[in-house]
Amino acid sequence: MTVLASIGELTVTYRRDGGEVTALRSVSLDIMAGERLAIIGESGSGKSTLALAIAELLPSSSADGRIEWPGLGRTPLLGRDIGFVFQDPSASLDPVMTIGKQIAEVARAHLGLTWSQAYAKARTLLERIRLPDPDSALQAFPHQLSGGQKQRVAIAAAIAAGPKLLIADEATSALDTIVQAEIVALIRRLVAEDGMTLLFISHDIALAAELAERIAVFRHGRLVELGPTARIVGAPTQAYTRMLLDAHIGLDAAPLLDRAGLRS
Amino acid sequence: MSLLAASNLTKRYRRGGKTVIAVDDVSFHIEPGETLALAGPSGSGKSTIARLALRLIEPDAGRIEFEGGDFLALRGATLRARRARLQMVFQDPLAAFNPRATVARALDDPLRIHGIASRGERPRRIAELLERVGLPADLASRAVHEISGGQRQRVAIARAIATKPSLIVLDEAVSALDVSVRGQILELLLDLQREQKIAYLFISHDLGVVRAVAHRIILLDAGRIAESGEARAVVDAPRSAIGKALVAAAPRLDRSIRHNAP
Repeated sequence: MTVLASIGELTVTYRRDGGEVTALRSVSLDIMAGERLAIIGESGSGKSTLALAIAELLPSSSADGRIEWPGLGRTPLLGRDIGFVFQDPSASLDPVMTIGKQIAEVARAHLGLTWSQAYAKARTLLERIRLPDPDSALQAFPHQLSGGQKQRVAIAAAIAAGPKLLIADEATSALDTIVQAEIVALIRRLVAEDGMTLLFISHDIALAAELAERIAVFRHGRLVELGPTARIVGAPTQAYTRMLLDAHIGLDAAPLLDRAGLRS
Repeated sequence: MSLLAASNLTKRYRRGGKTVIAVDDVSFHIEPGETLALAGPSGSGKSTIARLALRLIEPDAGRIEFEGGDFLALRGATLRARRARLQMVFQDPLAAFNPRATVARALDDPLRIHGIASRGERPRRIAELLERVGLPADLASRAVHEISGGQRQRVAIARAIATKPSLIVLDEAVSALDVSVRGQILELLLDLQREQKIAYLFISHDLGVVRAVAHRIILLDAGRIAESGEARAVVDAPRSAIGKALVAAAPRLDRSIRHNAP
């Protein structure tokens, strides 16, 4: 397997309220080409900062260390080489631009297509993300879609230029369980069909384990543990990872009601 | 007699010239000291039912009996007095507080407004409330926006119990918390329920959490009750289509692979 991106000794510091906050501390990590890698952690773990740093969305003054792209052979361009899906699709879609134009714009800008070629590409993408009635969806505005449909459109725009890497940062966290499962299935299918590498950022270790081949656990800006999903979930070496696993309340968890003596 | 009994609640909204029936002829009851969960996908009506039960909005039809009286008939001072017995905790505690308030001020308000404690007694009552929810007394002077999300949700719970309620509506109250904090908050809620016989209307999209803390569950779909029953029984073997879909969609964490991992 080749390394798509190699992150070395990455430290990111933000200035806040006159002080400095270290969001990432000396993080080293290789992203393998074609893998599904999950980054999991709680608030303040640095997981979103890592995603932003990889996508070069941080001011260069705040980041120290190196990010190299041996699997790409060039400096990546966001939109062309990296597709980014955020948590809130309402904030990432332009409310006064049609769905079709938002997707076509990405294809036109990065693939050098004409507008009519780009619209044809957008229509194909709307079919691939299984939006009902793609022809009228091209002309629709974001507010006419449900939250899950908006996230599908945001994913279509993210992959419109055929990026090597898709970053999904809490892309399903604002959605209900059923829609979340649909979006996860969609991401899995698109990544497989296009041979993309996936960086799946989540606070939910169970969700991450269902999708990812490897899991990296972050806490307070540090990489705590990294390994194949089966090993991280089945035999974690770090107490923090074990705590995250124990804190998951699944459908088979022992009811807290019984422990609290509240069942009559 | 039920603590709260809602019968045939209906709530319609007008949206873009169309009528949307958010809650459609829903009846349920909550017993003292019981947790009733409302679960369902987005738009199923769970938060609308919560707001109806709190009388933050008025139903188009139906009745709500609370503590033996017609809750919808209450007006003015009698409504305000009865509201002390019916409290709420929402998903985002930051949005639920005056952002400029200190923790002490946030807890002083209900004690003062509902005449629970005199001005002289209130600092002691605030210290007791903070202790009860597991927060240090010196947190009282901090601004609500300065403290962590978990601490803020504890303050929201302290504020809710300040008026000695018989029922607290918990609308996705643990959904936005880190998992390391969520378990502690659930334990706190169960402790309070055991000590003070508080009933909860527990609204959540997370069936795992619901199964762990609720006695009974109502599954909602498009404003109607799809299924109801004992929480474990419903989640373990759902009969409705929406129940089956919700259970199928919940992420599974299979830790058994530790046994066959190399």
